[in-house]
Amino acid sequence: MKKALKVAAVLATAASFVLTGCSDPGSGSQNNSPAAWPAADTDLKGTKLTVWAAQNSNKVPDSVVAGFEKLTGAEINVVTIPDPYEQGVQTKVATGDKPDLAFWQPTGSQLTALNATTNLQSLEGAPWLDSTKPALKDITGILDKTRYAALISTPAVEGVYYNKEVFEKAGIKSVPADWDSFIKLGRDLKGQGVTPFYEMGGDRWATQWWVQVQLADAAKDGLWDRVNTNKEKFTDPTIQGAINTYNDLIKEGLFNEDIKTATFEDQGAALLSGKAAMAVQVNSFFSQLQAQSDTETLNKKIGFFPIAPSGNVGTFIPDQSNALVAFKTGDAKREAASRQLLSYWLGQGYGDFVTAQSTVSLQDAVKTPGTVPNALLAVSDSLGTSVGSMQAEAIANPDLYIFLADMIQGTKTPEEVAKATQDQFAELAKAQGAAGF
Amino acid sequence: MTAVMSRQDVVRVEDIRKAKRRGGKNDHPLWFLIPALAVLVVFFFIPTLFNFIYAFTNWSSFKSSIGFVGVDNFVTLFNSGTLLNALRVTLIYAVLVAVFQNLFGLILALLLERDTRVNRAVRVAFFIPVIMSALAVGYIFQALLKPEGALNGILGFITGTDVTIPWLGDTTWTIVVVALVHSWKWMGLSMLIYLAGLKTINDDVLEAARLDGASWWTTLREIRFPLLAPAVTFNVATALLGSMNGFDVVQATTEGGPGGSTELLNIFIFRTFGQGLFAQATTMSLVLFLAVAVLAFPLIKMLRKREDVL
Repeated sequence: MKKALKVAAVLATAASFVLTGCSDPGSGSQNNSPAAWPAADTDLKGTKLTVWAAQNSNKVPDSVVAGFEKLTGAEINVVTIPDPYEQGVQTKVATGDKPDLAFWQPTGSQLTALNATTNLQSLEGAPWLDSTKPALKDITGILDKTRYAALISTPAVEGVYYNKEVFEKAGIKSVPADWDSFIKLGRDLKGQGVTPFYEMGGDRWATQWWVQVQLADAAKDGLWDRVNTNKEKFTDPTIQGAINTYNDLIKEGLFNEDIKTATFEDQGAALLSGKAAMAVQVNSFFSQLQAQSDTETLNKKIGFFPIAPSGNVGTFIPDQSNALVAFKTGDAKREAASRQLLSYWLGQGYGDFVTAQSTVSLQDAVKTPGTVPNALLAVSDSLGTSVGSMQAEAIANPDLYIFLADMIQGTKTPEEVAKATQDQFAELAKAQGAAGF
Repeated sequence: MTAVMSRQDVVRVEDIRKAKRRGGKNDHPLWFLIPALAVLVVFFFIPTLFNFIYAFTNWSSFKSSIGFVGVDNFVTLFNSGTLLNALRVTLIYAVLVAVFQNLFGLILALLLERDTRVNRAVRVAFFIPVIMSALAVGYIFQALLKPEGALNGILGFITGTDVTIPWLGDTTWTIVVVALVHSWKWMGLSMLIYLAGLKTINDDVLEAARLDGASWWTTLREIRFPLLAPAVTFNVATALLGSMNGFDVVQATTEGGPGGSTELLNIFIFRTFGQGLFAQATTMSLVLFLAVAVLAFPLIKMLRKREDVL
């Protein structure tokens, strides 16, 4: 009898754990009305704010933190979340752990992944919006017509980084103006014994750029809207065609011989040394080049042009180091302080910030420092006319790059790549409760 | 019974019985178990229970609510080939690790069996990888095995040519390389257990064998190895079942690549969890749990049967 009672007690305890466990600990209030924006110099003595950053963005706020602490007396603690950053943050937020602010990829899919409507503060009516360049104001950071992310630097653009000296030696005067001439240039260079394109199949993540830049025109035409509503699939001719083209170009031998094992570092070294002529990449690739060289050499050697089937159209892909989100923590005072920090960052503190980071300014009134390399200026110039990448426009971000890397290794056919991507996309869309899935 | 016993005998037997009863109660009161049990319940039983429950929900990072969806997650999982592929890779990996780790451990134990000063030092050296962080081991090997890494450098120096073998870039053989790394890390533990096993073998038996003219090899095959059965049970079971739960070494060396050829179930789970599909990831870990359980019981039973000769 006693034993039976004990068993019953254990079961009851377990059941109560289960029942309490079935409510999501990461959920919060649903209030989305725009909040008041305190003046940037409001006194904040005794207020402590936590900012989550990744290993490659934890130094970004340095000048802002110093300036803001001095101005307001607030205490700001930048905490580095180890890589993979996005997974780490998502897991923490899912279990109820939240910072005041965090670096975050300001795209629809990534804002959805954070459950923005319940976890993030609305940044509607932010004071810096009027001073932001009109072309960049609404480029990203918005989900369901609500602004959740503050863009602090120019989003990355997928495009072609090339070695100017290799082009010169090959007698190329101007950069290709459309896809066909871009590929023809690759073939010509190969004929001259130069490796035209360099891809990093070993590190995998850049494999998706080759497919995405081919989709720029379709993206302008609403491709991702159709994919988001399940009216078009990755396996349909548009995206499948882009995957096939990429595979054919690799088979043709237009890429580096060690494409299966080449890494991010290898890619940078190959382009700098002129071992390869071009690489389709994003801004972080240029940071890699900066780590291996100095601005003067880079200005002399490395150029950038955007490419799409129809012409020089870039594909933008904001990343985690470009933007911040402010969390709903339930503490009104700290939430206001978070907004205050953002208005300082993109207001009074913005000049110091772009100088300290030597990055392109998003605001007409704040001048871009002269130390920014030419290639990065070309990247930022292409932003105005660029279109959104899969990450920016699709409601979910499937592991297309892993499947493409599998294709490079020979374990997946182009058709299997499209199918695996579509399956995963559908699964994610279904989990979000998207219509049509 | 008591009739034929003297009174003294009866008292003694009673004393022993009392002592046993008292000892059983006083030396190890049951409530001593509570702290350990509490930790086990909170950190193991309840999570395992949750594992069973969340697998049937639509828990994700995208929504605040969690609803039951029945066996939906299982259906989707089994319909996509990825899960079966990951299970296959996991099994191959586990078998490779079990074989290598035990082979290396046994060879080391036999080589270092005698208690000399040198042997003691070498045993410690081989045990150090066991206490090292698995991720650190993985990253070190990843650097060593790169096409331009140290291993190729050494091979190039010996052969006098430029060697650039991508050890971690082959869709067929990389899983063997990674299993070797895993086994290298853990072989010290197997060695230690085999050493302990060898020490328990009675010298008389070995001397008898020697007197009968048995060679070293015959002694090992006919006497020592069969008598090592308990150590084999422990080593094979922990190596096989432990590596089915493998993650760290593979994540650090290949991240599941190249071409998904080393994508263990745990790496697949990690990737799915990172996508925000918490319920699907939980379903997969339930599948892994069941796979390990299905494998563990018959295996351990079989290995225990070998011990019957003792």
